[in-house]
Amino acid sequence: MGVELMIYMYGAVCVAMIIFNIVYNFISKSQRPRLNRRAKKLTYRIKPQLERLKDGKRLEQEHLDWLFKKLKRIGWLLALESVLDSAWLEDSELYELREHIDSYLIAIQPVMLYLAGEYIDSKPLHSGYFTYFLSRHGVPRQNEIESLQGILLEYLKKENFYCRVNSLKALYRFASAENVVRAILTQDDGRVFLHEKILTEGLLSFTGNHDELIKGLWRSFERLSERSQLAVLNYIRFKSPDFKEQMYGIMQDKSRPKELRLSAVRYLGKYSYAPALEPLIAMLGDKDLENWEYATVAASSLAGYSGLSVIEALKDALFSGNWYIRLASASSLERLGVEYADVIDIMSGSDRYAREMMSYRLETRKLQRTGVE
Amino acid sequence: MDGFKLFFDIVGVFFVAYMIGYSSFLFLSVTVGSSTLYHSKLRNRLKSELSGEYYIPVSIVIPAYNEEVTIEQSIKSLLALEYKLYEIVIVDDGSKDDTSKVVVEAFNMHRINRPIQRRIACQPEEMIYESLDFKVPITLIRKKNGGKADALNMGINASKYPYFICMDADSVLQYDSLEKIVRPVLEEGDVVAVGGTVRPCNGAKIENGRVVSYHMPNRILPCMQVLEYDRSFLAARILFDKFNGSIIISGAFGLFKKSVVIDAGGYDSTTMGEDMELVVKLHEFCREHNYKYRIRYATDAVCWTQAPERLGDLCKQRRRWHIGLFQSMTRHRKLLANPKYGLVGTISYIYFLIYELFSPYIEIFGVVTMVLASFVDLLNIPFMILFLLIYIVYSAILSLTAFFARIHTIDLKLKFTDVLKAILLCILEVSCLRFMLAFVRAKALIGYKKKKHSWGRIERKKIELN
Repeated sequence: MGVELMIYMYGAVCVAMIIFNIVYNFISKSQRPRLNRRAKKLTYRIKPQLERLKDGKRLEQEHLDWLFKKLKRIGWLLALESVLDSAWLEDSELYELREHIDSYLIAIQPVMLYLAGEYIDSKPLHSGYFTYFLSRHGVPRQNEIESLQGILLEYLKKENFYCRVNSLKALYRFASAENVVRAILTQDDGRVFLHEKILTEGLLSFTGNHDELIKGLWRSFERLSERSQLAVLNYIRFKSPDFKEQMYGIMQDKSRPKELRLSAVRYLGKYSYAPALEPLIAMLGDKDLENWEYATVAASSLAGYSGLSVIEALKDALFSGNWYIRLASASSLERLGVEYADVIDIMSGSDRYAREMMSYRLETRKLQRTGVE
Repeated sequence: MDGFKLFFDIVGVFFVAYMIGYSSFLFLSVTVGSSTLYHSKLRNRLKSELSGEYYIPVSIVIPAYNEEVTIEQSIKSLLALEYKLYEIVIVDDGSKDDTSKVVVEAFNMHRINRPIQRRIACQPEEMIYESLDFKVPITLIRKKNGGKADALNMGINASKYPYFICMDADSVLQYDSLEKIVRPVLEEGDVVAVGGTVRPCNGAKIENGRVVSYHMPNRILPCMQVLEYDRSFLAARILFDKFNGSIIISGAFGLFKKSVVIDAGGYDSTTMGEDMELVVKLHEFCREHNYKYRIRYATDAVCWTQAPERLGDLCKQRRRWHIGLFQSMTRHRKLLANPKYGLVGTISYIYFLIYELFSPYIEIFGVVTMVLASFVDLLNIPFMILFLLIYIVYSAILSLTAFFARIHTIDLKLKFTDVLKAILLCILEVSCLRFMLAFVRAKALIGYKKKKHSWGRIERKKIELN
């Protein structure tokens, strides 16, 4: 009897799943027309408001009230995004008024502020979408409402990965260095994993003053976790040549985690710094097998320096027992423009590994030149 | 007679328990699988996903053996991928045809003396070619024949980036598949492998890595495989993914963290199921070394592959899979019900042991028992027919649920005739093909050692790409 009951139960759930499938299919088929209908309604209501803005008037309170009411529902917010993304391209009247869309977005900031308070308590997917909307259609630079950014910092405390990523994106768009620094500190609570690549790429997309942001991040550097510190160092490497001394300090500080020191070595390879030359050469010459990663990155970084001591150090490193050190040294020699004649001692020497590696890099250069031609 | 009755009673109880176990698993996997697909669709609609701004460098390794017909198209499709940071490494495993020649000529490759670090043992290279003329670097390594696993190991050794993708030379990646397959790595810190979704491309028209039209395949056999893929592979893998219990990542499309694969010893060239063996080995390795890890499944990272259209090819494929399964399970038998390996050892391993490895024998045993029971007049034929019908209807409904869940969530449009075809053929699949393949799998282990290095050729047509 138990077995029969189980079969019936499973059967019933299966039938329910089929029904769900059919219903879902109908709903998803109707989703697109519904979105289009809503987008049309929104366009119809937005157009006269844009006309008003064109004439130097303010938005009608009735319109704002209507937005307060409608945009609380995710479907209407999706429709608004559709209008801002593409509907104006399809509607000639709206197209004529497109230059006032930014002003419109500024004018509806009270609505956005209200919605920020509404969506923060809704489903994680809806909160995430709201922050996504702001990251795409938040107010342009310098026009932000400070309290909206304050609420976005609260969104960053939510344990939803996408909500955090989208909130950060919105804050990068709002261009306030101070708030981005606060955001980086807020997300760094260890509850949600954010890959350092996401943080670095995000910081690079910041629309405000990067120097200001870098200074702010540097001031808070020691309060960040290792992962966030790494993201910040990588970001600085892409954006500022003014941190050589600080990076040198990190590189030399043996109490710092390995990844941070390696990032500092990379920085000093990108932006050459005379005092770093000797330590880099020493790092490359370190025979301790445990330190092979430092030696490898130092070998790559030395491509940013010149001089006989650099060439000699790299040539010595071609005889290293570590494959990666040999590879990086050969690449750097090639990037430094050495020719076959400069490395004849290696090419005619007895160390097959050093010879092969150097020969490969020189051949690659030839291949690259052929490709360019 | 009492002895017979007792025997059949025991067999009856065993089969009831077996079927309850199986139907519960199937039910759970299809339910969880479908709901996950719907949830992903919702996430996609509400933009809760990483956009393609974050690039993790990836090496695509393609082992090839006698692939002169398909290799050029495959590489061209890889060059059309919407991803910025990757390289393509083709390993010609001593092909007897002109695979290398086709690649060299089509992609303007130059012979080069490149040193390769042998971090995993593999057969020596004979020639290496490189081309820097395209969007991404292409490397061709011609090596001594050593089998697919050996070729993959060579590709890993030659790859430059920290993550690599293994794929078949005759498969096609969807335009956004790299972006999608690296997402789990960005979302979670400890991901060591990600399985992509492999879909039969029979019936699909693909242009620049995008599906422009789709219908159910014209031939019955691939059509049934489409349904089987959705029920057995898609749904089950989503379920296993929920508790980090995936023990298979298809060789046709998977992403791996190179350092961990190398530390674990790379692909095992003495097994036929090198893809499964590697994943089981990664579980074992990570658990034994207290390495925090996740093996994920990306439902939206799609690779299109050709499902066998001939019964002989399908049987060959399943035979090979079954041998691979047997080798992986026996080599890593210490996982069996071992709490040290968590749910992988208890749920995943036991499921694969009972419902995959032993299932053909159990099913054939069931048929033999029924024949015996009918001889001694102990078979309740009306009940047997009823039971069989329930089984068919139940499996068919689950197949259709998984199938429609996939179709609806990726916005594919089907004609009414396709729907009808799916409904009719899913009944045929669960009632006929399944038993036929059970028989093939049951025979698979006879004399398998003779062909342990073979590439298992299956006749394929050129995938239509524009």
